[in-house]
Amino acid sequence: MTTPQDAPQDAPKDAPRIMIVEDEALVALMVEDLLTDFGCRISGSFGAVDEALAYLSGAAVPPAALDGAVLDVNVGGTMVFPVAERLRAAGIPFVFATGYGALPRQGFEDIVVLNKPIDPILLEDAVRGFRRAA
Amino acid sequence: MLHLAATLAGARFAGGDAHAGQSRVLNVANAERSEQADHAALITLVETIEALSATRTIEEVAAVVRSAARRMSGADGVCFVLRDGDQCWYLDEDAIGPMWKGQRFPMTACISGWAMLHGQTVVIPDIYADARIPHDAYRPTFVKSLVMTPVRPRDPIAAIGAYWAVGQTPSPDTVIRLETMARATAAAIENARLYASLNEALERRTFLLRELDHRVKNTLASVQSIARQTLRAAASPADFADSFESRLMGLSRAHELLTRQAWGRTDLRDVLEAALQPFGGLADPRFTARGPAIALTAETAVVLHMTLHELMVNAAKHGALTSASGQVTVAWRIETVDGVASLALEWVERGGPPVFVPKRQGFGTKLLERGVARDLGGEARLTYQPKGLSYALRAPLSDRIAAEAAPRVPA
Repeated sequence: MTTPQDAPQDAPKDAPRIMIVEDEALVALMVEDLLTDFGCRISGSFGAVDEALAYLSGAAVPPAALDGAVLDVNVGGTMVFPVAERLRAAGIPFVFATGYGALPRQGFEDIVVLNKPIDPILLEDAVRGFRRAA
Repeated sequence: MLHLAATLAGARFAGGDAHAGQSRVLNVANAERSEQADHAALITLVETIEALSATRTIEEVAAVVRSAARRMSGADGVCFVLRDGDQCWYLDEDAIGPMWKGQRFPMTACISGWAMLHGQTVVIPDIYADARIPHDAYRPTFVKSLVMTPVRPRDPIAAIGAYWAVGQTPSPDTVIRLETMARATAAAIENARLYASLNEALERRTFLLRELDHRVKNTLASVQSIARQTLRAAASPADFADSFESRLMGLSRAHELLTRQAWGRTDLRDVLEAALQPFGGLADPRFTARGPAIALTAETAVVLHMTLHELMVNAAKHGALTSASGQVTVAWRIETVDGVASLALEWVERGGPPVFVPKRQGFGTKLLERGVARDLGGEARLTYQPKGLSYALRAPLSDRIAAEAAPRVPA
């Protein structure tokens, strides 16, 4: 369910490459558009945790083909944390985006949480953080 | 009843007038002792009722009953038995030796069951001489005699048993005290149950509020996405307002349908019917729909509704629904390929004006090709043939899509 080929990719070559994990296609389409507007490239957009994990098994190997990720927390009933752990192990920064007010996320207390609906300004700030880290 | 016992003692004393002085002195002493015992019993009873009124769970009720019943009856052991359907559950005990704590017996195979089924107290001076007693269950215990009294005799919910290590006939006073305890216990059990159901209701309310918050935020996120993407494709503010409102109304109809189904599973045909409602639904002769019963989860129903809404709007603007002789056929079936069963749905338009491939990809096209298919782990394809547009969706059956009838929630 990757999208690079059909999403407009007129971003510069050094644009941060971002992965999206979001089970609601409608929200994913918007995040893809927003990130593209912020000058990012969408390296992959996934609706399920196992799809994201399968993608990461290649992309997270150094040198990482990924500069950051936006993760929904409850992805169709499956918690996204295995993806978050894999990203952290690979040193790839990420943020959570969730409609749940408070979620059990032991070990990820330091990660930025964007609430839904997503404030584009906060999303842009988070992406800038990725760029610095990259 | 304590008052009654005191009166009886007094009458005995009054009637003893003809006897010798020594006997009279003895009688007075006995009467005083009896009054003191009654007084102590009364205080114990009041304390027990106070303690019971402070209990909040069945376990707390059982803890109060077992020690109080033992004190008040002077028995060697006390059991607190709860009725659990057609079983007697020996919930708690306080005794000189182990009895049956934690065990369950059929109502028809133990004496507490007998007392509850008959709604009356049973007194057994010698358990091995009574056929109602399951002797095998008693042999490992100290018990030789007993009193068993039901709690709420008209519709028993529990029983209190008092047991002695010697064969004897418990005094009428003892029986009355146990029965009084049982009456106080009935109210305490009902309170505990009420308290438990109240707690459950409160927890459910908290859960529902949290769930509502989650759904509202997700819905707002959907609306945010619709607004942004509609804006991207809009030629003018008026065009934006038209498209955005049409999509908002579609989303609203989807939610109406889900509320009718209590956010449970919804049938695919009902989703189609709701999506086509601006055209009067499937009753419009230009529509043909066929396919088996398919149950969709609430989230899947929403996204499929939006998909069908986009197809309908497109058909009304550019396709088969622009002409009176146009035809839209929606057909779905279960197909199994390589052992994987999938839902295959097709929307086929005929009889409209010639179709051209659109110059740019709008939100509708994006949603059709990447929306529902992405959500369901399937694939979708739009085909622009001159004779009419067609849309094919294939998605594997999962916990979101099931080949079964959705339960009908009465309107």
